[in-house]
Amino acid sequence: MSGLRSLTAVADWRSWAVFRRNALVFLRNWRTAVIPPAMEPVIFFVAFGIGFGGYIEDIAYRGVEINYATYVAAGLIAYTGFGTPYYEALYSAYVRMFYQKTWDGLLATQVELPSVVWGEILWGAVRGMVNISIVSSVVAVFDVLGVVDVKVQFLLVMPLLGFVAGCAFASFALIFTAIVPAIDHMNYPVFLIGWPLSLVSNTFFPIEPKSEALWALMQVNPVYQLAECARGLLVLGNPGSHLVGLLGSTLIFLVPCTLLSVRLTRRRVLGD
Amino acid sequence: MTTAILEARGLTKKYGNRVVVDRLDLSCRRGTVLGLLGPNGAGKTTTLRMLYGFVPPDDGSIYYAGKRFSECRAEAKRSIGVSTQDDSLDYDFTVAQNLFIYASYFRPRVDDLERRVAELLDQFELAPYANASPHVLSGGFIRRLLIARSIVHRPSVLFLDEPTTGLDPSARLDVWELIDALRAEGLAVVLTTHYMDEAERLSDELLVIHEGRNVAHGEPHHVIDSVLGDHVIIVPRSEPAREEIAAWLHARGAEQVATVLGELRVPVSKEDLAALTARFTEATWQVRPPNLDDLFIALARRNGRSV
Repeated sequence: MSGLRSLTAVADWRSWAVFRRNALVFLRNWRTAVIPPAMEPVIFFVAFGIGFGGYIEDIAYRGVEINYATYVAAGLIAYTGFGTPYYEALYSAYVRMFYQKTWDGLLATQVELPSVVWGEILWGAVRGMVNISIVSSVVAVFDVLGVVDVKVQFLLVMPLLGFVAGCAFASFALIFTAIVPAIDHMNYPVFLIGWPLSLVSNTFFPIEPKSEALWALMQVNPVYQLAECARGLLVLGNPGSHLVGLLGSTLIFLVPCTLLSVRLTRRRVLGD
Repeated sequence: MTTAILEARGLTKKYGNRVVVDRLDLSCRRGTVLGLLGPNGAGKTTTLRMLYGFVPPDDGSIYYAGKRFSECRAEAKRSIGVSTQDDSLDYDFTVAQNLFIYASYFRPRVDDLERRVAELLDQFELAPYANASPHVLSGGFIRRLLIARSIVHRPSVLFLDEPTTGLDPSARLDVWELIDALRAEGLAVVLTTHYMDEAERLSDELLVIHEGRNVAHGEPHHVIDSVLGDHVIIVPRSEPAREEIAAWLHARGAEQVATVLGELRVPVSKEDLAALTARFTEATWQVRPPNLDDLFIALARRNGRSV
């Protein structure tokens, strides 16, 4: 019953009050909050897609030959859609919880703990949407310049896909936020989980697993599904089975991760 | 006597096998201050955290305005204001924005919020800093803002967890004045503090907690009398018969013989004082009424800590 309450708290006004609080802070500091983090995928795009891509032959994607920059464009959207909510829910949420005591202040009101967790999840996902929008704009510019060849109208859908998957990534990150003893320990979820996951998910290079187990694992990886869904839309105008895959893998991550985040955060913040 | 707006019965909290709060009863009426007092680890903060819903009790019940907290949690939390011990201000917002954003965490929404915020900024003398970051505030003004924030939604019960810890004497007095004014406005205030003078002056009722249990409850002077007795004698370090006096008092059943910087401090009854005066005619000592410092020291000694 309490698990169900934790999940349905997404629709509670209190979760959106927490979200609103984070959004207002973001709007106050939007220049510093947007420009530097959003530049990272842009630099990656220029360095890998254009620079490194010049040395790579075209790639066969679902029967269509595409250049490496086009392949990486979708990968960077997935990379951004994963990294932004993941790191937001790791670092920014940790700062709010541990250093700023923002959560203590929230919990001293009518806001309950599942709403704090949902507020962070929703906010992480929306931050992902914002950064994906910037990356999508850059991809659109490169499409006009002829560097990539994508169906630009589908760039408008990318932030929405990012929001869906972003909820899963933020809920996953909040588990670590609840258990790391100090901010230095964030290196574990960053370097042992974040980086590998963002690299081996058909983002920067295609992976064709030989074993069925590995193939099955890839299907439940929302980063992979996001990358393939975005690529399918941008290259072919058709996500194939990856839209269902994205929704399914998001649910597979989101439900248990949210329940676990609420439980671990309760222990961490309330000592209960 | 008005009925209690807050009432708790049989509150119990365990962490593992350790009983932190043990069958505690308490109540607080509108326009009064209930002081929760006890040494470190007595269970004060855990009691407070159960009362305002941070942690659920393992046993016992909490009632707000006669309604069981667990059955009307959202409604009850709308009527509670909490100022935690830690500074939980939102430093991403200005002083005034802190009040506005905090009010957004309550439903029904705060009536006429603009006016309410202006009123609080004036009442707490925060108006000159309204558009500044809380970073510019001194410790005393940060505490003012924390208290102002905790009542922005016009609660009926206010919890203050050590509201003057770390403040200089002048800022402490200012906070006392504010708490007194809030009591006069009809708020029920539940206060925890380490400062004996603060508890004694501000509280209409005291609840002394020791190892999670109620050891004394009532008006401050009654509480002191019930735990300590009529007088405290202070035997100076320079008194040659100091050890002999301590042994004599101990033999008469005085359990709370404390040594503070070489001085003996012993709570005694009228009868003991008369007998002591007759027995040690040459010795010198001071006699004063007991205060909450003595109570605190006595409780700490019961707890097996040195003083």
